Amino acid sequence: MTGLLSTMQRVRHANAWIFGTMLFSSVLSLIASFVLAVDAVKLAADPAAELSCDINAVISCGTVAAAWQSQLLGFPNAFLGLIAEPVVITLAVACLGGVRFPRWFMFAAQVVYTIGLGFAYWLFYQSMFHIGALCPWCLLVTLSTTLVFATLTHVNIRDGNLFLPARLQETLAGALRANLDLIVVVIWLLTLTLAVVVKYGDLLFG
Amino acid sequence: MGKQQRATSRETRKAQAAIAAQRGRRINWVLTVGGMIIAGLVAAIGLVAFNAANNDEPTAGGGKLVTPANLTAAGTIPVGAPAAPVTVEIVLDYMCPACGRFEQANGGELDRLIQAGTAKVELRPISFLDRTSQGARYSTRAANAMATVADRAPEKVWAFNHALYDNQPEEGTRGLSDQRIAELATQAGVGRDVVDAFGERLFEPWVAKVTEAAFDSGVKGTPRVSINGTVFAGDVYRAGPLTQAVAAAAKSGT
Repeated sequence: MTGLLSTMQRVRHANAWIFGTMLFSSVLSLIASFVLAVDAVKLAADPAAELSCDINAVISCGTVAAAWQSQLLGFPNAFLGLIAEPVVITLAVACLGGVRFPRWFMFAAQVVYTIGLGFAYWLFYQSMFHIGALCPWCLLVTLSTTLVFATLTHVNIRDGNLFLPARLQETLAGALRANLDLIVVVIWLLTLTLAVVVKYGDLLFG
Repeated sequence: MGKQQRATSRETRKAQAAIAAQRGRRINWVLTVGGMIIAGLVAAIGLVAFNAANNDEPTAGGGKLVTPANLTAAGTIPVGAPAAPVTVEIVLDYMCPACGRFEQANGGELDRLIQAGTAKVELRPISFLDRTSQGARYSTRAANAMATVADRAPEKVWAFNHALYDNQPEEGTRGLSDQRIAELATQAGVGRDVVDAFGERLFEPWVAKVTEAAFDSGVKGTPRVSINGTVFAGDVYRAGPLTQAVAAAAKSGT
């Protein structure tokens, strides 16, 4: 039992596991962004929006996909995923292959991805409380963005890439060794699940 | 590269040793508190899901399937003279903006065709857009109201159908309130006793069944318009093509 636990512990902090998870999550995120982007393009190609209400439509029959929240920067949000996720995939593959990026590079990646995470959660909030449509692909983006952020933060704290004060760095690294990060991520994802189930339970299980 | 890997595994071993030293106190504490929160969340998710699953049709007579009276043999809501030679079947969702555009373009044309005795309309209201009304299930509520009217005031179906579209809510909103639906029905001439029955949600299981049957039969979206059983592929968002197709079908007698 102890042997198994310590093996799991070792695997969890190893590059293969961390970057493997990052790769898997960023691929999921890319797929979801792609589906959403295709949908957005299909809608845009039909400005009269004379689409029927497709049973399999990703978000809705048009009104919602045309909401301002869906095009915050003047183009469909999903395009951001198409731009950003391949970078993450490249980073994950390179690190799996043993590349060690400079600190400033990993730090910049952390900053940019944190902004991306903020954006993903703003969208999650909008779709939960203002748009009101259940969108499985959007939920997949939220989930995979969270996982990429968690793995990136994990590796950056483990390797001390964040230019933190020594004491804070030591505290965070200790928290990693005590698996606090794992527990925080699990609690966070379960909280999201609970929010979705509370909001859409009737639809999901009704 | 080998050097790096060795360095990494050395670091990992070091981390390993640190954990072993602290395991007794810290890990147990973290696991206990974290585990409790996780267990609580899982229980809450399970509870909510269980409630939602059992909350299916709370006031609909235990979710029993009740089929409205006055339906056609095919299970659709009929409008117009049964003897009319052409049947126009419409699969629709009252939340669907495209259905609203269809109604705007063709509602008046269909009025005329029905009155002339050329065509009869058959409605099949479904509820797949429930997911776009913030959990307020507007599609189901509207379709249930329509089924109730079909059941008890069948001559008012068409007027009520117009009223629901003339006041169609924007997709993604909670839709019309039950009270507003009742008002519209009253304005369309539906009697008080019938309107009061909307709240019984008697036909919600039937709406769910029609929705599933529509998916199973290959309905890809709404509105889906068929003329005498053949899906109409023409432009349904402007007046004209549908009317011509109906006229052609009336002439050929198919």
